[in-house]
Amino acid sequence: MKLSTEARDILETSMRQNKVSNADRAQIEEAVAAMPDDRVLLYKNVVSNPVGDLYRYSVHIRIQHMLTFVTFLTLAFTGLPIHFFETFWSGPLNSMLGGVSVTRIIHRTIAVVMIFSMVYHVLTISLGTVWRIRAGTFDIRRTILPLWKDIRDFKGDMAYFAGKRDQRPEMDKFNYKQKIHYFAAAFGNLVMVVSGTAFLFPEFWARILPAAIASHWQELMRLSHPHEALLALLVIAFWHWYNVHLAPGRFPMQWTFLTGKITREHQIEEHFLEYLRNLVEVPEERKELIDMLESRELVPDADAEPATT
Amino acid sequence: MKRHQPHSNPYSFVNSILLGLVTVLLCYVMLVLPASAAETDDEGCLMCHKYPMMGRITDEGVLRSYYVIPHVFNKTVHRNVPCRDCHTYIKKLPHDPVETGVTCSTECHSIKNPATGKPFSHKTIVSAYSESVHGRGKNAKGGDADKPYCITCHTNPINNPHEDLPPKQITDRCVLCHEKRSFVNQWYSHTSRRIKEVRRTPEQIIELCSSCHGNKEMVDRHLTLAKQEGRELGRKFAFAVDSYKDSFHGKLTAKGFTKTANCLDCHADYDNYYKSVHEIRPSRDPKSPVSPERKVETCQRCHTFADENYAAIDPHPTSHADDNLFRHWAEKIYNIVGEVVIVALVAMSLFETWGRRRDGVGWRLKHGSSWWRKSKRGRDRVV
Repeated sequence: MKLSTEARDILETSMRQNKVSNADRAQIEEAVAAMPDDRVLLYKNVVSNPVGDLYRYSVHIRIQHMLTFVTFLTLAFTGLPIHFFETFWSGPLNSMLGGVSVTRIIHRTIAVVMIFSMVYHVLTISLGTVWRIRAGTFDIRRTILPLWKDIRDFKGDMAYFAGKRDQRPEMDKFNYKQKIHYFAAAFGNLVMVVSGTAFLFPEFWARILPAAIASHWQELMRLSHPHEALLALLVIAFWHWYNVHLAPGRFPMQWTFLTGKITREHQIEEHFLEYLRNLVEVPEERKELIDMLESRELVPDADAEPATT
Repeated sequence: MKRHQPHSNPYSFVNSILLGLVTVLLCYVMLVLPASAAETDDEGCLMCHKYPMMGRITDEGVLRSYYVIPHVFNKTVHRNVPCRDCHTYIKKLPHDPVETGVTCSTECHSIKNPATGKPFSHKTIVSAYSESVHGRGKNAKGGDADKPYCITCHTNPINNPHEDLPPKQITDRCVLCHEKRSFVNQWYSHTSRRIKEVRRTPEQIIELCSSCHGNKEMVDRHLTLAKQEGRELGRKFAFAVDSYKDSFHGKLTAKGFTKTANCLDCHADYDNYYKSVHEIRPSRDPKSPVSPERKVETCQRCHTFADENYAAIDPHPTSHADDNLFRHWAEKIYNIVGEVVIVALVAMSLFETWGRRRDGVGWRLKHGSSWWRKSKRGRDRVV
């Protein structure tokens, strides 16, 4: 495969950051050359283990996901019957938990665990970033931070789904969907925590805010807490669970949140640039890829003209 | 062959028992009941008012019953007050048609205030009530007729099971000196009932206030009247109940919490609760606990650290555009954003599924790949 300028830049950066030897560089180039120019053929023909092939998330991120997962659902499960107290379904839910007074205590207690999870996450990614910068392995393209490329990727993906483009864009470790999701969740969490404190400590907020906005702030927070919660729950139910459970190729579930690993075909399809880094960082992957492609006779003829993507 | 002997009538015995019971019952009704009623009817009012059908239909078509049930009346708080202490206009029997009715500020000539020795009266509380925003005369007309009179709230509970049987181990001691057990029982009930917490529960208070302030027809009538008369009404008058129920306090009360503010906690003073609930004033009156002058102090009753900013928070929030434009638009924007986001994300997911399915992806990973279906775009997995 002849890499695009962008992909080549990612590969070169990764090789430089990992200080690969000449022998490794040759192996990596050999693996790249063995890949068919049509990436669709590449991810359609690799062999994947359903529970994951390539390392993606550290144990810290997995613990944080688990904490967020448990606290979010518990908060929704306890918060909704408090807010919609007069509906027919809230009675049995509250009774099951020991009455609405108990539901409120559970809600607040779990909220503290969720805040801990947020702090743990911010510390993990901040310290991890500092560590990478100091080690010289930081690459902003590999982070969750939104870049202009994400807008290009979104447009490219839509064109591919509409049949107007034959390849999905070359996306990085976090694609545009994941970035939207991550920042929506981060913003949502922040709104929930701040608005929750407005319920618990209204005097505090009134004291620190100017008189002109103290009342509006309180009203906005009281609206925000249930609206944001409901929106988050619907986004999780309709989008996140779709993407990790129901989408074709991901059903019945991606195991990444438990194993920390992603399947090879998924990595190449949606995170091709990260897969190039895998070729640099995981020496066994180079040989495995070449063997797979050779067995399917997909290694391109070195003399043939490369296909444009 | 043995023949059956004719039996005597098997029901004759039962019939005779029933007949006996009916006779005893009739004797009780004829002899005992009138005797107990007569005991409380020194003024002869029950001569007519003992009949259940005693009543009339008013000019407005309302059926008014004048039936007095002696054994029920005998359990009310006014059981010891002779009829004509309140119905002072009755001078002869049969009496003339009643024009004015009973007012609660009337002095009782038969009951003395034990503290002062003067005739007992509710004058003090009636005069406090008269100065409140709810104050009205007994026979008020027009808009004032909608305001609550004493009996709107004081329904004179007739059956308090705690009053039925004072504890014998206590009253046994009292009768040693006070002799008459009926006096002791009544005194005990009177005193103990007033020592107990007899306030309405928060839910009952809200229900009581809502019976007028949540009555749309009544509220609209007063809005129109106030407009015609050029009178000012409270900003929240039109939706006081709905906005309270939507508020944080209202939701907590609905959940059964008693330590949250109900109507009277803010709109009445705390100094002497039982008096101040009769003195509710409009928020524009500086004496009102919810007036701008006193709002901070009122909030601080529960919210110790409340300051002026805190007191500026709307305790009756609504999303009506003419009441709170900020909240109106905030809620609207939240709803629009929520709906757009969900529709957009679901649409994007469906579009993605459709696009990838056309290229041959399957729902499950089979033999190491999800791309085992035939692509409509001409690039299939090598089998």
